[in-house]
Amino acid sequence: MSERLWEILASSLPNLLLYCVKVTIPLTACIYALSLVLAFLLALVQVLNIRFLSGAARIYVWIFRGTPLIVQMYIIFFGLPSVGITLNAFPSAVIAFSLNYAAYMSETIRASIQAVPVGQTEAGYMIGLNYFQIMTRIVLPQAAKIAFPTLFGSLIGLTKDSSLAASITVVEMFKAAQQIAARTFEPLALYCEAALIYLMLNTALTLLQRYLEKRLSWKQPLTE
Amino acid sequence: MLEVKNLRCSYGTNQVLKDINFRVDKGEVIAIVGSSGSGKTTLLRSISFLHKADGGTIRFLDFEKDITRLKGSEIRRLRMRLGYVFQNFNLFRNMTVRQNVMEGLVTARHMDRAEAEKITDAVLEKVDMLERADYYPDQLSGGQQQRAAIARSIAFRPDVLLLDEPTSSLDPELTREVLNILTQLAADGITMVVVTHEMGFARNVANRVIFMEGGVVVEDAPAAEFFNHPKQEATKRFLRTVTDDCG
Repeated sequence: MSERLWEILASSLPNLLLYCVKVTIPLTACIYALSLVLAFLLALVQVLNIRFLSGAARIYVWIFRGTPLIVQMYIIFFGLPSVGITLNAFPSAVIAFSLNYAAYMSETIRASIQAVPVGQTEAGYMIGLNYFQIMTRIVLPQAAKIAFPTLFGSLIGLTKDSSLAASITVVEMFKAAQQIAARTFEPLALYCEAALIYLMLNTALTLLQRYLEKRLSWKQPLTE
Repeated sequence: MLEVKNLRCSYGTNQVLKDINFRVDKGEVIAIVGSSGSGKTTLLRSISFLHKADGGTIRFLDFEKDITRLKGSEIRRLRMRLGYVFQNFNLFRNMTVRQNVMEGLVTARHMDRAEAEKITDAVLEKVDMLERADYYPDQLSGGQQQRAAIARSIAFRPDVLLLDEPTSSLDPELTREVLNILTQLAADGITMVVVTHEMGFARNVANRVIFMEGGVVVEDAPAAEFFNHPKQEATKRFLRTVTDDCG
């Protein structure tokens, strides 16, 4: 590799890392937190089978899972201004991503809650607990354990997908790499560098997932 | 102590209980026997409101009411006084044995922690599970899980303990473990209704045996009379099959 290329890579690295820390990570964190809350609410109204809300939640999931994320982003960022709603790029990305991810994650949460055997609820009733106590002390903790790997998978997916925000002018790490690549005419090297940073980020997250799974879960059968 | 009259219950169009009359007195141990599908389990489930009955009256505590008209608060009060042991244990998987037992005392009955701990230790001792109090259900054998589940449901001193085939998912050795505990509870004077296929247990421990077939009570008699001089043809037939099965 030429000396020039090394220089470009070395000088762009701190820049990319800066955008990673300043934009990609906060963007991912904001989206993940919002979608988790929204997904939980969507799942809950379906599990509790609350009239109207439950149906509305299903329609919501149908729409947001059934249309592409990038189209949703374009509608919010480029489309809404024509009806008088103008949002900056960053909040537009946060909103579009959150709405989209919540639809997927709500299905994970709903399925996990429903995967807790009904016998657990019945046993709760028979020792005198009420529905709220059964949910908060028995069903949700068990559902959380079931949902955890999949929900964490969504976080890993989101870290990478956040690069799509570049398409609506959010300057996050990938967009920063694009700009440097355009300036230096070294797309291959720059995009590989960006890819490597995403890989490092997700390696860290994967390790964190393993650690948390061990920490958070109650004991496994000894025979396993 | 607990009485149901004209209890009817169905799954869809399939009527599983047809006009059941059933009564438990204090200190009694009742064994409910019958082949699979005769409605034994449904009887226990509808008394505990785990399955909604179609009709009938229930007398328990201070009320006698249409079983379909009980309010949520009344159902909860009734469940507070009923212990229930499930065929497949249903211990809370996210809690240790000790937490499983404490849950009904502390969370449901707001008992003082220290006192609840004392009671928990005592009941776990009784079912010989104190040593494994800090194990999670998944770390225990079926017999141990069932003993823990029994401890959980006697900790709050229920008026009646309902047991739904407590040994059906256990192998013979573990079955013996659990039956020994139940025999001991009977000796302690705990009122029990046991749905069971264990004829030896029914004969030796129960005061009364109820034989169900096709959703009706065919025979309801003191244990000795039931096994030695059954009155109904269906009962005789059933007892012949069961004894044949035992070789």
